[in-house]
Amino acid sequence: MRKNNKKAITTTMAVALVVALVVGLALGYLVSMLMAPAVPGVTTTVTAPGMVSTITSTATVVSTLEKTLTSVKTVTTGAPVVERLIIGVTDKVTDIDPSNAYDFFTWEVLSNTMEGLMRYVPGTTELEYGIARSHTIEKNGLVYIFKLKPGLRFADGTPATAEDVVRSIKRVMEIKGDPAWLVTDFVENVEALDSETVKFTLSTPVSYFLALLATPPYFPVHPAYKPKEIDSDQTAGGLGPYRIVKWTRDVELVLEANPYYYGGAPKIKQIIVRFFKDATSMRLELEAGRIDVAWRTLLPTDIKDLKTKPNLKTVECPGGFIRYIVINTRIKPFDNKLVRQALAAALNRKAICERVFLGLTEPLYSMIPIGMWSHIDAFKEKYGEHNIELAKNLLKQAGYSETNKLKIELWYTPTHYGDTEADVALLVKEAWEETGMIEVDIKSAEWTTYVDQSRKGIMGISLFGWYPDYIDPDDYTTAFVNASWLGYAYANAELSKILKEASVLPTVEERTPLYEKAQEIWAEDAAIIPMFQGKLVLVSKPNVEGIFLDPTMLLRYWLFFFSG
Amino acid sequence: MVSLRIYIATRALLTIPTIIILLTIVFAIMRILPGDPVTAIVGMKAPPEQIQELKKELGLIDEFGKPIPLYIQYLNYFSGIIKGDFGKSLIWGKRPVIIEILEHFPATIELSIMGFIVSLLIGLISGVYSAHKYSSWMDSTIRIYGIISYALFIPWIGMLFQMFFGVQLKILPVAGRIDPGMEPQQITGLFLLDSIITSNWPSFISSLKHLILPSITLGIVLSGIFTRLTRGAMLEVLSQDFIIAAKARGLPNRKILLHALKNAFIPILTMMGLQFALLLTGAILTETTFSWPGIGTFLMERINYRDYTTVQGTVVFFAIIISLVSLIVDLIYAYIDPRIRY
Repeated sequence: MRKNNKKAITTTMAVALVVALVVGLALGYLVSMLMAPAVPGVTTTVTAPGMVSTITSTATVVSTLEKTLTSVKTVTTGAPVVERLIIGVTDKVTDIDPSNAYDFFTWEVLSNTMEGLMRYVPGTTELEYGIARSHTIEKNGLVYIFKLKPGLRFADGTPATAEDVVRSIKRVMEIKGDPAWLVTDFVENVEALDSETVKFTLSTPVSYFLALLATPPYFPVHPAYKPKEIDSDQTAGGLGPYRIVKWTRDVELVLEANPYYYGGAPKIKQIIVRFFKDATSMRLELEAGRIDVAWRTLLPTDIKDLKTKPNLKTVECPGGFIRYIVINTRIKPFDNKLVRQALAAALNRKAICERVFLGLTEPLYSMIPIGMWSHIDAFKEKYGEHNIELAKNLLKQAGYSETNKLKIELWYTPTHYGDTEADVALLVKEAWEETGMIEVDIKSAEWTTYVDQSRKGIMGISLFGWYPDYIDPDDYTTAFVNASWLGYAYANAELSKILKEASVLPTVEERTPLYEKAQEIWAEDAAIIPMFQGKLVLVSKPNVEGIFLDPTMLLRYWLFFFSG
Repeated sequence: MVSLRIYIATRALLTIPTIIILLTIVFAIMRILPGDPVTAIVGMKAPPEQIQELKKELGLIDEFGKPIPLYIQYLNYFSGIIKGDFGKSLIWGKRPVIIEILEHFPATIELSIMGFIVSLLIGLISGVYSAHKYSSWMDSTIRIYGIISYALFIPWIGMLFQMFFGVQLKILPVAGRIDPGMEPQQITGLFLLDSIITSNWPSFISSLKHLILPSITLGIVLSGIFTRLTRGAMLEVLSQDFIIAAKARGLPNRKILLHALKNAFIPILTMMGLQFALLLTGAILTETTFSWPGIGTFLMERINYRDYTTVQGTVVFFAIIISLVSLIVDLIYAYIDPRIRY
């Protein structure tokens, strides 16, 4: 028996060794295949024509617009008609109803199946007419009158008139869903003057009203939508280039070209959106060639790896998503401007972008994001980047030293901004402590508690993020000043006055200097410190063209086409 | 026979307090957790009226804005579940939770059944073979397999399969339940079964291809315990006198092994019941790895969206299902083994 046992142990060990070797070899092979470097000399990262090259830098909107328009023209000529394109996403469609949809991916779907009076020129933040053909502004910006394009029809052929526009907007006002404030805060009344004319009467003049009209709550919806309640699963759509022909929640969304779209049929007749539970599966399906486009949101490590693949192309552009640090000026010692300025000066944004996000975010030196008109690098101009010497001087002026350190609590939430958040907090701490005069204690709270604490104004320093509601500097500024959701952390009477004035002036030229001034005041006060701006990254098969990414964060499916 | 009936009745009655305790624990946990669910749902920019409205929907305050006492909330919650009302989702159309669950459950059942079959096949065959070849190199290999497979992490092994069969060989899909546009007509919600019923063979092939990698992944991870259990039980049975007698009579090996397996089956059957809970847990990880649209991924997603009523309803649903399965297994066990009685 003992002999048998000995034999069994020897055999077991031998087999274990062989198994370990085989598994190790197999694993090594697979990992090496997956991580295989690109073929030398092959361009692996390709940007969409005339788009990213201009947007990734902070070049002017004008040049972007010119190039984009050239690209749009290219799209509409000579490309072969291909039946189907499959897009992979890890996002969700929430309510396919503009009265309650309030997330970017659902807005993307709505923007492809519906259209408002205004829309953005793809690849830019410039507005152009959607279903409207002209407009006039009366009574000092209190009244907007729009003429609709003639012969508009819903995807089933039902004629669309000004009454449909009015019905849809009034529906949003009555349902009072999550995005309803985009209408109710500005519009006092909307009425149809005739079948082609819509009149808006505003409660107060706002110069960005045209930008508001490009948001889904203003999209006309098919009469099939329930008039007084949220119609979450309604697929009748609106006046967009595509119509929904099939939707299995969390599985797939099938869109087909709308035969009645006023702009003509898109090049690709059918778009299928496949919903993935995790980014890794999406990446593998792209590599296996089973999807054409991997859209939001690939993991930073996967993006870095996919960029090296010769048979795929990557398109990048700054998104409208920004991250920032909120310092509550009502709490000591943060009521001292010198302390706040020292923190702003010591911050190391580049380290966060490179080390935590592997270069997939960009350092941000203003609350108004890169690429948007009026953006200036106000914080960089005032404090530089990771300026430890300046921070030390400011701290000394505030009465701190190496022996009498500034002791602060830095709050973050691990349950809202992804797994990287703890690392972001750590790098903020690291940069501040590099002064030798600050001691940071990192604290965290679950998102609900975190928001509650923010409302109550009990966190000295906390990390937050912002997705835009409408593409205008106003959305990145006014919402933060004297804001209840931040516990009134930051208030400045002069700033409020400038922002109010800027929101009323009619032209970009008139508004720009005011927002520039606002950004300077923002940097001077250093109560809310911008950190970085998210990038949008899309990876596709090399033959997919017509990809336009811009700060609106919406992908236009109708511009896709296949090359070759 | 009378004692069996008493056993069945007692066991069935015991399920009721088990479920009540589970429901109470779920109710308590949802209220003990830090943070305000209302704030989580409406977001930071919500006006106070919207917050009040949602509190009303959640049954936290009455029509006049007064807080409803906890015990009343508990009674409301309890009576709702008895009536089959698991509440309404707080997001996306506020659909009844039970409908959402029933939409996602067939996908999990399909994956679980296939995973279970794979695990049982691997476990039984390897266990019996290992016992038959006791102390050989094959026995050692299978024993090591039993340990390794039990320790495997589903997303890791799943990803290896995805990389090899999906990306390298390109012979099997790496995610999803069926190819776009191939869904069979919905009858049971089980795609394989539905495509057979409707004779939709392209759908059958597509859903089978999608099912292979997830069910093998799940099956392998769960098979280790069956391998070890079968081997142990078989070794015990094979050393008993009636097997020696059978061998002495010159019965073929195959017949002897089959005979031994029947006798070794009781502990395996018990483990099959216990594995069901593990199967559902494993299914959650497998579903996430393979983007399988089942109840596991659904639950994870709703946790992320802080859809409290759906999370509560789904957990209760899981608890009830597991209690019922455990009851059924116990009853079968009692039926097979007459020694099991109260």
